[in-house]
Amino acid sequence: MSPKPVVRSETALTNVVAVTAAVVEDPVFAGLEASLAEIRKMKGVLGYIMRGNTSAVLDLAERDKISQYAFLSNQLHESCLEIAKQLGVAEIESALVEGKTQKVLFMKIGENKISVFMEKTANHSAVIKRVQI
Amino acid sequence: MTEVSSKPLQTIIDEYKNISPELAKAFIFKKDGEIIASNEEGIAQDRAKKIAAAFEDILNHAGVIDGIEILTIQGISTQLDITSTNNSYLATVSSRTADEKMIRALNCVIVPTIIRLMDQIGTPATSDQPCPDIAEPEVKQVEEVVQPPEPTVIQQFPVAPEASSERVFPKTPVNQFMVEKIGGLLVASDMVRVDTDLVAKWADLYGDMEILQVNVETLEGKSVLCRFRPIRESDGKAKGVIQIPERILQTLGTGEGRLVMVKPVVPVPLEGKS
Repeated sequence: MSPKPVVRSETALTNVVAVTAAVVEDPVFAGLEASLAEIRKMKGVLGYIMRGNTSAVLDLAERDKISQYAFLSNQLHESCLEIAKQLGVAEIESALVEGKTQKVLFMKIGENKISVFMEKTANHSAVIKRVQI
Repeated sequence: MTEVSSKPLQTIIDEYKNISPELAKAFIFKKDGEIIASNEEGIAQDRAKKIAAAFEDILNHAGVIDGIEILTIQGISTQLDITSTNNSYLATVSSRTADEKMIRALNCVIVPTIIRLMDQIGTPATSDQPCPDIAEPEVKQVEEVVQPPEPTVIQQFPVAPEASSERVFPKTPVNQFMVEKIGGLLVASDMVRVDTDLVAKWADLYGDMEILQVNVETLEGKSVLCRFRPIRESDGKAKGVIQIPERILQTLGTGEGRLVMVKPVVPVPLEGKS
């Protein structure tokens, strides 16, 4: 029997609203959520979105752009899978899209898809290491 | 991008492995999957097309991060990098031990710069747009139906171009006529006779440039250049026909009643075009 999702809303320490619909009993999800909360405090990190099978959590500085970040996150996952397939890469550890001013790091840990949005100058390697701990 | 302009790209792509041996594959392709340059055989067009489409899908949502400069996908031991410049895509597959700064310099600076330069150089050759310096005159098709016994004559007369500081030359009009054989002591064997009205129109069209010869071409493709003169106006039946002496008919391999195309031979200045 699958655990009941618990929906909660809270104000994060970073002065942004984090809306969470999480299955608190999922230890991997909970662990990643804790890591992301720490990553959120890193210099240049603008926010993150994590989607699991039955739950999602996000914390973004620009609330009016939440849907845009969510669409990009979703598309990044689908497109990277397709590109990797076409070029014979069996498994993706991470994907990084760099724009002119910002960049997005995408990772998939188990069934959890994580997108971390950063300023261009932020250290994405440190974010990767922090997520993988 | 033209074949000529893709050669420098192929050259640098060929050099990728020399620059960094960890760079296993590199190829440049277009949105439709056309491979412009590649250092490996067998990159299928349909694969390139799918990669371009997937990249575009991300790009369509990347406004929130101000577009895409580079997409990097890391596998367990492999790294893919894709960049886009002027509707061309550069994809590289390398080992994760490759020098990241080197890859970035190649993918984000050197190759995109060459692509942009090649596009700038190749623009006149690849563009279907007319050269802005030379106005292409509009050609108006006029159909004239000539009553029997003359056949239908399809004439193309260019419309005079708008006044310009530069002199422009209209396209040479081509007219179709039915052959009428002429002979006799007073007929020059190297001269054809054409409709007076047509000669007058050529005079209007080309002004002070004197038309001295015409090109007569059969529908089979044989052609001759010869002198011409207008058909006498007294010959009212001469509409829609060209009068050709026996010798030219033999050269053309045609005969009376057949159709030929006639166009004036315009003296072309060295820098102009007819």
